[in-house]
Amino acid sequence: MTEAAPLDEMVDGAGGIRPHWGGLLGALSTLGRGELAGRAALLDRHFIEEGATSLLPGESDMPAWRCDPVPMLLAPAEFDALAEGLAQRASLLEAVLQDVYGPQQLLAEGLLPPALVYANPAFLRSCRAAAGRREGPLLHLYAADLLRAPDGGWRVLADRSAGPTGLAHVLENRRALARTVPELTRARQLRRHGPFFDIWQDALQRLAPPGAAGRNPGVAMLTGGPSSPHWYEHVILSRRLSCALVEGGDLTVRDGALFLKTLRGLQPVDVLLRRLDGRQMDPLEGDQSPSHGVAGLLDAMRAGSVRIVNDPGAGFAEAPALAAFLAGLAPRLLGERLRLADARTLWLGDLAVREQVLGDLGRWLVRRAVDGTVQSVTAGALPAAARAELAGRILAAPEEYVVSEALPASVAPCAGPQGLEPRPVILRLFLVHDGQRWQALQGGLARALAAPDPGTGARPGMRFSKDVWVPMQEPGEVQGPPQASIRALPIRRGSGDIPSRVADNFFWLGRYLERLETAARLLRASASRLAVSDPGPRALAELKSLAACLVRADLLDSETAREIGTVPVARVLLRAVRERGRLPGLLGQVGRLADLLRDRLTGEMHLALNRGMRELTEAFRAVPARREEAREEARSLDALGHVSVAVLAFAATVAGLAAENMVRGGGRLFLDLGRRVERAQAIAAELHRVLDQPGAAAQPARLEPGLRLALELRDSVITYRSRYLTALQPAPVLDLVLADEGNPRGLAFQLEAARDMLADLEGEAGGPLSQLAQSLLEEARAMVREVAEASSQAEAVLRLRPRLAALEGEVATLSNRIARRWFALLPAPHSLGPAPAIRMRGAA
Amino acid sequence: MIYRVRHTTRYAYGSTVDLAAHMLHLRPRDLPYQQVRSADLTSLPAAARRRDGLDHFGNAVTWLFIDAPHDLFEVTAEAEVAVRYPAPPAAAATPPWEAVREAARAGGPGAWEAVEYRFDSPMCPAVAAAGAYVGASFPPGRPVLAGLLDLNARIRADFRFRAGVTDLSTQVAEVLERREGVCQDFTHLMISGLRAIGLPARYTSGYIRTRPPPGQPRRRGADQSHAWVGAWLGADHGWVELDPTNGVVVQEEHVVLGWGRDYGDISPVRGVMLGGGDHGLTIGVDLEPVED
Repeated sequence: MTEAAPLDEMVDGAGGIRPHWGGLLGALSTLGRGELAGRAALLDRHFIEEGATSLLPGESDMPAWRCDPVPMLLAPAEFDALAEGLAQRASLLEAVLQDVYGPQQLLAEGLLPPALVYANPAFLRSCRAAAGRREGPLLHLYAADLLRAPDGGWRVLADRSAGPTGLAHVLENRRALARTVPELTRARQLRRHGPFFDIWQDALQRLAPPGAAGRNPGVAMLTGGPSSPHWYEHVILSRRLSCALVEGGDLTVRDGALFLKTLRGLQPVDVLLRRLDGRQMDPLEGDQSPSHGVAGLLDAMRAGSVRIVNDPGAGFAEAPALAAFLAGLAPRLLGERLRLADARTLWLGDLAVREQVLGDLGRWLVRRAVDGTVQSVTAGALPAAARAELAGRILAAPEEYVVSEALPASVAPCAGPQGLEPRPVILRLFLVHDGQRWQALQGGLARALAAPDPGTGARPGMRFSKDVWVPMQEPGEVQGPPQASIRALPIRRGSGDIPSRVADNFFWLGRYLERLETAARLLRASASRLAVSDPGPRALAELKSLAACLVRADLLDSETAREIGTVPVARVLLRAVRERGRLPGLLGQVGRLADLLRDRLTGEMHLALNRGMRELTEAFRAVPARREEAREEARSLDALGHVSVAVLAFAATVAGLAAENMVRGGGRLFLDLGRRVERAQAIAAELHRVLDQPGAAAQPARLEPGLRLALELRDSVITYRSRYLTALQPAPVLDLVLADEGNPRGLAFQLEAARDMLADLEGEAGGPLSQLAQSLLEEARAMVREVAEASSQAEAVLRLRPRLAALEGEVATLSNRIARRWFALLPAPHSLGPAPAIRMRGAA
Repeated sequence: MIYRVRHTTRYAYGSTVDLAAHMLHLRPRDLPYQQVRSADLTSLPAAARRRDGLDHFGNAVTWLFIDAPHDLFEVTAEAEVAVRYPAPPAAAATPPWEAVREAARAGGPGAWEAVEYRFDSPMCPAVAAAGAYVGASFPPGRPVLAGLLDLNARIRADFRFRAGVTDLSTQVAEVLERREGVCQDFTHLMISGLRAIGLPARYTSGYIRTRPPPGQPRRRGADQSHAWVGAWLGADHGWVELDPTNGVVVQEEHVVLGWGRDYGDISPVRGVMLGGGDHGLTIGVDLEPVED
């Protein structure tokens, strides 16, 4: 190969600017060099805040997604030609898949070497209809990676057929650019992304098997869950496509049909958008790790009751060596010549080409024949010894290797510290089959490559992404390729039924938020009291009560609690807000659950939670860490007060957002339920402890510190004062804390709300759980009544303590019964038969 | 020869299974040399759903789905099968093993389906040590069947049949080291070695008659599922079945259930269940001639 210089996307050979870049360049120069770098930093921050993570295989070590403020421009006519070429290629791959998973005629005729099929880890034998044909399409969403060669022509580098990634990032790139560089986006009219996703959504509905006729087809996206490297994308995409995002454990197969386990029972799933490795779809037939997938899913697929796209076996078409045969297969399968060329590709299982290639290995890019996930190697970039070693490996197993022409990718302008700098770019374009034809997304993802790493010969990784812009030819141009086929979309409504797993997570999110808040309130009350330098007997009594509550909340050890008021304890309390302390621990739980629920939280809520948690984490970090710094009690107290106020503000923000942003029912209901249950339990527990004043029977005044604390911990001091104006008395205090349904910090409010929500969940007139909540409510009222009517209120109060302890236990019971009734407590599935430890190769 | 086979598999679970899915390779495969006269499959508890079909390799598969709680799962397969294996060709008449290797590499008409069986599979990767062991039977130019028969006899002589020292996860290399195991181990070893020298080999699952014909020694591997090796002789001669556990060419005493690349493709009973805890397994196989 002659060392051709890479083509420049923006500048033509003669030093002039290519016409379609003109307008953009003008806008860029108006912006100025420094400003551009500033916008790039802004974009970086945007993606960090969004929690956008890396996406593309082999690039998962990227900490956060990055997008260049300068887009990649493609002239409309050129884009349309690419889209047409890729549509043909997708049809060809579909035909190849149909043959490989059906009659295997291509193998019998010798048009496709059996080695590329039978040694391909993504050839899934359980997807083959040996005695017939598979019902299509096996390929539904397709993407290709391309580069522009020095001759100006585009070449396909790789096919993505298992489950192409990057679409969520395309959406987010465009959104982020519109916000951070409005000058550029406003400068011209672009073809929009919207129609593609509408077509996709519509196509998914149409894929529903005939059995779904007469009802709204159930469409779900199957993900590996938050631990999946592509979780971020799954969340964004499922939202854009209005389909349920589910994990294997959310699904079950009954009588050959697929269902989603929801709070309201089993809901049929007709179309499954697969975002899980095809080999993990069904533990009965594929990889035997029952933690993913659904037993019996492939049986349901073969029975035709559920359509899975892309087909579990579609990853087969990602084998790099396939490219060596596509040009030959196109006339046989489509009756056409291949329109869009590959980078010239040769399979080394072919004896004739092997010698030719090994004689001149330096000009080739070497890849594994059937495993596209293995990094390619530019043989020419290797030191001589390493190149010889590579040649040796190829000779030992030539069938396992494929080579393609090493072409320098074209360069496009990118923002850099010195203004615009050219970087090599690789393009990824996406197509979806609408049932009739392939429709291309009018845009795409460009990856700007880092400088090559000398020595390894590995192709350089991505430095950042670029949004791909296809300008409208003229304002008002009809969108994209002929789209006469777009019909009115049927009205759809997401079913409100949520999976049990999601309800479980919401419930615990509610509980942990409340627990965090309770802890902060206790710390704040402690900080203000400990600040008094020489507490009198009443203040001391309050501190003792408080200490008991602190111990219950795991904020203080019982030994130190006994010495409260006599030795400085602020330092000890401070441990609770330091790293690995109680509060950061609770916040960690909140963060974990918020991550698990990311797909269920509105964007605003997610952002606010994220930001709030970041700020709180910083507040925790700012706590004086070393003993020396915290030596002064006053400083410790100050820090304690400061942090607890920050936590309370965070809790209030989250509660407010939930109330204003979340649709009632479903997740919101369980979030609320968790809060109510947790708070009810805390109220009973605290009251039980603050009323522990042994001498009060004789001296009723001794109850006062406890009563005051009870009001303060329930944020009810002001209410009490406005109602009673004067001294504390047991019955009015208890009424406010236990029996007043109007006090959102009181027990009755929690129990009443829980009762109503449970009745709603149990349906009809309410079941045993709402009845349990009701009986607890009555018990709380009875307690207050008895105190109010007693001749000695103080004595009556003391008699309440065991009943309060029992009430605390009953609320815990209620919580357990809620968990058993609605949450997935099913044992994990396991398997019989062979379970060889197989390391999976390739993408399927 | 007509055989009647009865194969019972029984799982006793430590705790109740709420939901179970099973994939069974328990119905004998119809073949030119094996006619399945009847095949019946019953389970306890009865399946809520049963489907019969063919897998990629052309074997009969049955899927059972049980959604009633149960502590015991028992599946019984009964079949009546007439077998008449063709006599293997004269060893000297088969092509040199290198020619078979080349045909399996090139693929093409008559050969492309055999190509599948020369690649690594999860339980039968090409193991170099196994290749070295096998290679001793294949000096240059030797007719492929002569080499295979020699290898079949060597394994019988070199390895001790001993149950309980190996299990499903035992690797080929370990079997080679220990020089003992059961039919499955010898079959995997032979397949791995043949693949290592480039020859296609497949795993055949089936049965061997429980009581030998009068005057003959009792075979190893009776009373259980049995396994042996299918080896390819090239496009002209096709496949030959060799039982290294007994050192014989499969002819009169075996019944074929089906085949795959290794045990994993053709395991008689596979299942995924919710619940169950530990389980105890009892297997009973009876293969008796109906008439001689």
